[in-house]
Amino acid sequence: MDEDVLTTLKILIIGESGVGKSSLLLRFTDDTFDPELAATIGVDFKVKTISVDGNKAKLAIWDTAGQERFRTLTPSYYRGAQGVILVYDVTRRDTFVKLDNWLNELETYCTRNDIVNMLVGNKIDKENREVDRKEGLKFARKHSMLFIEASAKTCDGVQCAFEELVEKIIQTPGLWESENQNKGVKLSHREEGHGGACGACYSEPSRRRIKGFD
Amino acid sequence: MATWDRSSRKLPQVAEPAMEGEPQVPMGRELSEANRFAYAALCGISLSQLFPEPEQSAFCTEFMTGLVKWLELPEAVLPTMSAFASGLGGEGADVFAQILLKDPILKDDPLVITQDLLSFSLKDGRYDARARVLICHMTSLLQVPLGELDLLEETFLESLKEIKEEESEMAEASRKKKENRRKWKRYLLIGLATVGGGTVIGVTGGLAAPLVAAGAATIIGSAGAAALGSVAGIAVMTSLFGAAGAGLTGYKMKKRVGAIEEFTFLPLTEGKQLHITIVITGWLASGKYRTFGAPWAALARSREQYCLAWEARYLMELGNALETILSGLASMAAQEALKYTMLSGIVAALTWPASLLTVANVIDNPWGVCLHRSAEVGKHLAHILLSRQQGQRPVTLIGFSLGARVIYFCLQEMAQEKDCQGIVEDAVLLGAPVEGDAKHWEPFRKVVSGRIINGYCRGDWLLSFVYRTSSVQLHVAGLQPVLLQDRRVENVDLSSVVSGHLDYAKQMDVILKAVGIHTKPGWEEKGLLLASSSLPQEEPHEAAAASSSDKTSDQDGQIQDPAPRDTPKVATSSDSGQAQVPTGLDQSEGASLPAVAASPAERPQICSHGGSPNPLGCPNCASKTQESCPGLD
Repeated sequence: MDEDVLTTLKILIIGESGVGKSSLLLRFTDDTFDPELAATIGVDFKVKTISVDGNKAKLAIWDTAGQERFRTLTPSYYRGAQGVILVYDVTRRDTFVKLDNWLNELETYCTRNDIVNMLVGNKIDKENREVDRKEGLKFARKHSMLFIEASAKTCDGVQCAFEELVEKIIQTPGLWESENQNKGVKLSHREEGHGGACGACYSEPSRRRIKGFD
Repeated sequence: MATWDRSSRKLPQVAEPAMEGEPQVPMGRELSEANRFAYAALCGISLSQLFPEPEQSAFCTEFMTGLVKWLELPEAVLPTMSAFASGLGGEGADVFAQILLKDPILKDDPLVITQDLLSFSLKDGRYDARARVLICHMTSLLQVPLGELDLLEETFLESLKEIKEEESEMAEASRKKKENRRKWKRYLLIGLATVGGGTVIGVTGGLAAPLVAAGAATIIGSAGAAALGSVAGIAVMTSLFGAAGAGLTGYKMKKRVGAIEEFTFLPLTEGKQLHITIVITGWLASGKYRTFGAPWAALARSREQYCLAWEARYLMELGNALETILSGLASMAAQEALKYTMLSGIVAALTWPASLLTVANVIDNPWGVCLHRSAEVGKHLAHILLSRQQGQRPVTLIGFSLGARVIYFCLQEMAQEKDCQGIVEDAVLLGAPVEGDAKHWEPFRKVVSGRIINGYCRGDWLLSFVYRTSSVQLHVAGLQPVLLQDRRVENVDLSSVVSGHLDYAKQMDVILKAVGIHTKPGWEEKGLLLASSSLPQEEPHEAAAASSSDKTSDQDGQIQDPAPRDTPKVATSSDSGQAQVPTGLDQSEGASLPAVAASPAERPQICSHGGSPNPLGCPNCASKTQESCPGLD
């Protein structure tokens, strides 16, 4: 089955401690949820093959630890990543405020500038929401990121987040083609204007590059 | 770099070996969790880079699983570590290395990780060659000179020895354990490497069990903690060095194997070390090079080096024939012409001068015999190594000419066996009369963990001549590089060093340097001195030796710590009976503990009892050198 895999993509999940990065990953890869999930040590690693638009992509997902004491380790994973999922907790404003720091770090350590970023507001199943969806969307637009709200607990938007990210990466050929030239698999005809499949996504290509959106 | 103080680390183990009730945690666990993670991850990435072959993956996985436990990292990180070990995430390696380099503990003592990895690798009483290659790799990633690793290994060895002594004392003190003591002693004796013979080793299980039953664990626990955590010292020691004790020297060929008439290991050094080197000579010449050990006088790969003595009769015949050809029958001009024809690369078009062909029968017979015997000897060596007569520790094989052919067949034979991995660390083949096609060398990747060095000389007409029947159609490894794409394979063109095949014996010190094998520092100028005189002088040149000890340690390039430099001085001045050699105690040796630092018998084979026709070295000397280290205590 490895033969029909179009490419292997390196995806990175970052964000403050306790926002549910590992839960999102666990929901995505194993479709399980553990409310008592222990804090990640260093980094967690999972592989999953998903199919987007008939193209199979193997995802090597590195789930980083949010805890401060492991912060020194994170720079090592940025290298070579094609997609980054930046997670915050909609019930904790501080995790949203700190997103700027994460973006800074991203900028500092990422080796390529066309990397695809996605912002995920997690835990929307909870009542005590502190960050409005509009705020998240606005932040995502400002930094040309994809945006989705999700809940690892209820499985809301999780699959969608990863699919959307992969789709976007595959649409950005320079991101992954260079490493896979010899595989002989080429995308035939790419449809334009998808992204409608997932209502929560903000993925309009023309607007992604807008800088300084107010 | 030159700031940390080794003595402070070593002293506690030496001066007060018994730190009862205060078992030290292996230092790796003192690191913060994040840095332990980085440390393990870096190991995983290094493993995947060093051993990407699928047949090695079991070792990598096992190593990482063990290391995660050893470092007390949660099991949740195992999948990640496995991912690292299988080659994913390698792009982060330098970041991990940088994180580790910034660690305050490591800044204080950069050896922590090397030390920790070493104790981890030794904890089961086995020292896998792959583990050593990994440790070397990690050591260089952490910007620690490799000489430090040698030193560390010695320190470990010392503490292992102390554990043994400690154990016997403890047992004496307790009358209750008298029963046990007898048992102990028995095992100690075995462990002490005093019994010879060819008992099969690899006996961690067999030896460890009675020890544990005797309540040894507690005793070892307190004393051995300093170095090995809770590792059972004796079991480790015995397993590492082989219950057959002297191991290789104790090896006796029980029956004539195949067509082999002679097969013994001669010790080149007196010391013990966690890794050993076996050198194999290609022929025996007259004069200075009539012994097996003579060409290897400068070798300082490890403190425990053996020379394989094999088929002396035929090798002498061969040596004489080679010399005959060179000295009499082929004129100097013809030799030069041949060399340049060879160098120009038109080997196939080479027509041998009639004068050479007329004497071909002088050489062809011994050559043919030796060619055949070397293959047999190689296979035999392979089985000795596979049965771990040398103990559970890495072996480096170095050989020239037919000796390299022995190694070639040894590796070939080993490659056919299942458990051939992790025994041979490096293999150095110099001027090898063997097939040089990459596909024949491919299987060696499985056997050799570290480097496979092919030292060749393009202008070696003598090799080409004696091997002419096969060299026209075949690639000869000793004449050209082996084009195998692997990190292990290193081809070293020795054309500038070796001007003829016989130079492999005469220029061995330079050759070893050229291929990156540690030689005794300061040897080169002295080597010349020696070469100019017919036989090495025996009068001790104390003044010269002492004054040069500073110089030599500088040349060593690994001057970290001025303190231990005094030791070699003492050693040299008190060391009679070895005229030029004493400074051969290189930095690492010199800094080690006096008990072993003496290591006096670097060259038992070159001796004042000269004139002895015995090609196996002078027996008088071997015994003499043992006593020749007074004043060291």
